[in-house]
Amino acid sequence: MISTLLPKLRATILASSAALLLSSCELLEFSPNDVRVTATEQDLTHKNLARLAAQPKPTGGDTLRFVFTTDSQRYYDELDPLVSSINQQRGVAFVLLGGDVSDFGLRREMSWVQEKLNGLHAPYLTVVGNHDLVGNGRTAYQKLFGPLNYTFTYGDTRFILVDTNGREYAFNGQAPNVPWLQQQLADTLEVRRQVTVCHVPPFNEDFDPALKENFARTLAQAPRLVFNLSGHIDKFGESEPYDDGVTYISGYSVQQRHYLLLTLWGKTHYKLEAIAY
Amino acid sequence: MHRFLLTLSGLLLFLQSQAQVAEPNNRPWYVPEHVVLQTAGGIGMVAGGVGYALGVHRRFDTDVLVGYVPGRYTGDRAFGIFTLKDTYSPFTLPVASRWQIRPLSVGALINYTPSQMLNRSRDDKYSYKNYYWWGSTVRLGAFVGGRVGYAFDTPAGRKRVASLYYELGTNDLYFVSLLTNTKGLALGKILTLGLGIKLDF
Repeated sequence: MISTLLPKLRATILASSAALLLSSCELLEFSPNDVRVTATEQDLTHKNLARLAAQPKPTGGDTLRFVFTTDSQRYYDELDPLVSSINQQRGVAFVLLGGDVSDFGLRREMSWVQEKLNGLHAPYLTVVGNHDLVGNGRTAYQKLFGPLNYTFTYGDTRFILVDTNGREYAFNGQAPNVPWLQQQLADTLEVRRQVTVCHVPPFNEDFDPALKENFARTLAQAPRLVFNLSGHIDKFGESEPYDDGVTYISGYSVQQRHYLLLTLWGKTHYKLEAIAY
Repeated sequence: MHRFLLTLSGLLLFLQSQAQVAEPNNRPWYVPEHVVLQTAGGIGMVAGGVGYALGVHRRFDTDVLVGYVPGRYTGDRAFGIFTLKDTYSPFTLPVASRWQIRPLSVGALINYTPSQMLNRSRDDKYSYKNYYWWGSTVRLGAFVGGRVGYAFDTPAGRKRVASLYYELGTNDLYFVSLLTNTKGLALGKILTLGLGIKLDF
């Protein structure tokens, strides 16, 4: 009797002390600006991309469906309904979050958001927003999520995620990194479609004015671009602001309790649905 | 920054004058009464400092601490955190002749992290007013806690107390996050824990 109980008891004690240790680690905070995270909270971009790569495309043919939501900053009440609504959609390959994961650039805020987004059935990917660069946020974002500029290809579509928060760099001419963007757009090997994703759109005053034209021209010259996705302005929009054939889509913020369900097929065909939750 | 330092020194001067009234002893008024060593609580991996016990029953503690967060936990260079903390412990339970428990403490703190690594959120970067309404380098905090002390006499015959304390608290930005999210965020998510020791001079 005792011999069967003992291992059980030991396992329980071990598990509960591990849980206690973990939670006390979080409780014992050195600074709200520190970037101390557990191993499970690190490199989420990398982990989600690995998950995505291993996942067969949920829609048939050349159709690709994904969700675009943005600006989760301090809207924790809205995240649970968002997650359960997205989980009810069929054929969603992944979820894109268009930046401002956090409000104050704090590690703990990003951790709260990723805990909620972990509830998504599909992998999720983020692009950095201006609020994520405040304080020590840039380091926290890099630690929890990963690079500020990166690309991935899924369903023959190359997604290029770029840091466009120029004002946070005092408009130093480096954000967005246009040469990098040009390079990524030029690489079309096995790429049927291209989508660019950023936080601040080029027609907003927080975009580096010196880079605006170059950025727009780069997108206009991209051979297979479907559209550009952005956040920041908390207002849905779908337009061709520069009359150059490039569609710019501004997403709904999490607070607005809507998200975009985007379905791509053919060369540059797409269907946009705004879903309320 | 200047305004903050001015407020800090003003507060200190005020509290020190209080100390002078409450604690008539043969030491000069400015000599602190205890040393403090703390870990976590948002003010450093380790924070050390000095303080005064004020009031007729020495129920108010005012401490000044300098905290350190190594670069390993900041992503680059170490943080120095400067904290001014006030703690009020209204009750003392003498459980044995030498042991005393202060079951409840409430307190508040303000701290400043002058790290160049922190991207300032108040640089008037955005044209719209109060876009970044908070400061990334100055935090306000509040906490509840408790303390266990042991009284002893030095070889010179002076009475001393060594005590252990804990503080369960939060900061202004975490609190605002909770306040605006009654369903999506639990109280436990915003809490921080600090543990420390205090030793009378």
